[in-house]
Amino acid sequence: MTATQSLLIVLFAPLVSAGLIALFLRRSGVVASMVSVAAAGLICVFSLSAIRGMGAEGLTASMEWLKVGEFSISMGFLFDDTAATMLAMVAFVGLLIHLFSLGYMKTDPSRGRFFGGLSIFMFSMLGIVLADNLIMIFVFWELVGFSSYMLIGHYLNTEEAAAASKKAFIVNRVGDFGFLIGIVFAFWHFETTSLTEMAAMMNADPALISATIAALLMCGFIGKSAQFPLHVWLPDAMAGPTPVSALIHAATMVAAGVYFLIRIDFLFPAEVLTLIAGLGTAVAVYAGFCAYGQNDIKKILAYSTLSQLGYMAAAFGLGYPGVALFHLITHAFFKALLFLGAGSVIHGCHHEQDIFKMGGLLKKMPITAITFFLGTLALCGFYGLSGFYSKDAILIAANLGNPLLFGLLTLGAFLTAGYMGRLLWIAFLGQPKSDAASHAKESPLVMTVPLIILAVLSVVGGYTDLWPEQLGGLIKYDLDHLHHAEGYKAAHKMVLILGTAAWVVGLVVAYFFYGAGAKEDRLQKMAAPVYGFLKSKLWFDEIYNFYVAKIQQRVAELLNFIDLFLIKGIFVRGSAGLVGLVGMCAKSLHVGNIHGYVYWFLAGVVLLWAAAAGIIGF
Amino acid sequence: MTVGINAFILVAGLLFVIGLLGVLLRKNTLIIYMSLELMLNAVNLALVAFSRYNNTMDGNMFVFFIITVAAAEVAVGLAIIVALFRRRQTVMVDGLNAMSR
Repeated sequence: MTATQSLLIVLFAPLVSAGLIALFLRRSGVVASMVSVAAAGLICVFSLSAIRGMGAEGLTASMEWLKVGEFSISMGFLFDDTAATMLAMVAFVGLLIHLFSLGYMKTDPSRGRFFGGLSIFMFSMLGIVLADNLIMIFVFWELVGFSSYMLIGHYLNTEEAAAASKKAFIVNRVGDFGFLIGIVFAFWHFETTSLTEMAAMMNADPALISATIAALLMCGFIGKSAQFPLHVWLPDAMAGPTPVSALIHAATMVAAGVYFLIRIDFLFPAEVLTLIAGLGTAVAVYAGFCAYGQNDIKKILAYSTLSQLGYMAAAFGLGYPGVALFHLITHAFFKALLFLGAGSVIHGCHHEQDIFKMGGLLKKMPITAITFFLGTLALCGFYGLSGFYSKDAILIAANLGNPLLFGLLTLGAFLTAGYMGRLLWIAFLGQPKSDAASHAKESPLVMTVPLIILAVLSVVGGYTDLWPEQLGGLIKYDLDHLHHAEGYKAAHKMVLILGTAAWVVGLVVAYFFYGAGAKEDRLQKMAAPVYGFLKSKLWFDEIYNFYVAKIQQRVAELLNFIDLFLIKGIFVRGSAGLVGLVGMCAKSLHVGNIHGYVYWFLAGVVLLWAAAAGIIGF
Repeated sequence: MTVGINAFILVAGLLFVIGLLGVLLRKNTLIIYMSLELMLNAVNLALVAFSRYNNTMDGNMFVFFIITVAAAEVAVGLAIIVALFRRRQTVMVDGLNAMSR
């Protein structure tokens, strides 16, 4: 079997599964979950087969899908080592999360819909990973948006989930608007949307670079990866089931924005790169602060995800797309682990999500607690774990590139360790603080095994030398490039010291400040205004609400009036009324009403008079 | 005291309008018929006044014709109305309409 055929199976297995579930299996949750997990397994197996068979150069295959005049749209695969790395991660993490969902969603009455959603998500995500042109990426980009909407709104009878799914969808549309215009501009500029052709043209003539196109395409990334100023949807998206948060809002979909940037990195001029680096750093620090104001275990992790996405954007903006991809992969491992761990905790505590109502879970749920601890260490950059390598590479790149960004990103590293320490000590140590927590039990094997596998990956995932040789070419190239950069030795030493200091100080300070298994937030008690400020998240939601309700709503009302009065009132109703009137008059000629005849007679007389008097001519 | 041509035309116009409105608005065939006659006579009045004003006989000639035709018309029209009443037991236009409703 050729690699292309394997890729076709990889892409269409989840679509078939989603189709089967949507058409026949919506009410039979058990069968639906089996079909969906089987599809995830197929993806995993055939991804490996495709990666083995891809060859050194990667492979491209495409077919024409639509032709409009001069403009033809193709659908195809661009399967190089970047795509292979991403595919391996998505397939593997996706499979683990599918398995975990079997346990987590066991008692959910609408399991069929959930697993169908997961399958359609896998289809759309793999489409983005494999796509070879901007239009195909956009199509699948919108599909992931839809599946994210569907899965966030899984608990559709809660107000929160319904609002969050709408918010995620609409905020993403704002970014996608820029993306779409960017595609149009790119086609106008290059007369193609194919990634390889554009790259070849850029290589041949570097003067073709355009900041406008890069900035517009960046809008898509800002929406999907929840960067400033469109980050508001991601924390709310935690209203969905926890495996969804792990799969979509931590490991894969939000990272798709970064992946998209890496795919088109040849389009970016220096000034746009600087902008991305600045935006990413700002989010990394901002989200780090916000996490201190949250009590919901999933929301803390959501802000952590925002912050880590900021790191990826910063790495990309500093000119190291390989390092961004590296952090993307390691982040996918440990953040999926943390989210699944949170899911296991929530499952064990009967859907209690407030960390101040947990406590003492280390004794009740040892496997979950230990894997969660490993994930936290990886996230904080503990020496030798996966997060250490990727985060250090980013910090070194920042150190060499831009001292201001380096300072802020290091601050972000301290913040990360602090809020993760807060979460860890309060939720897992001390005594249970609610009935739910005191009756917590370790989750079944189907949930703990994925946790253990992800924990192993979080620990060893950073050793790129151990990776299969087909994977991570770009990562290795960029890391190598970084290692031979001028001043690397000094920067490395400094980052090693600061990075280690960050997680030690963060975890220790959090332990002594909040206390193991604390019952209430000490920061809230001691410095309520500071806590309130952190909790308010810089009032982004309030500002957007004001804008939408007070400003945009006025414009909408004006347009509504014009629509009702002018278009509906005068044009539509008016023309219909005119025709109706003519019909009524004409009807009176034929229904035997004598007065109707008299009026027609009068009209005839007037007409005759007018003609005779020369007012109207014939 | 002499009455000017304008007064005659005004009265004739008023009579014509009254007759026209009667034709348009009343439902009783007999009244409509009377209104028609009123309009004819309004025209007669105007014609006589013009004749007098111009000192010619043209208008008066028309008036004789109109009176003759109107007399014939009355004979036929009234006969039709009587025949209608015998047949339908009503002379209201709404009741006479056999086509719609």
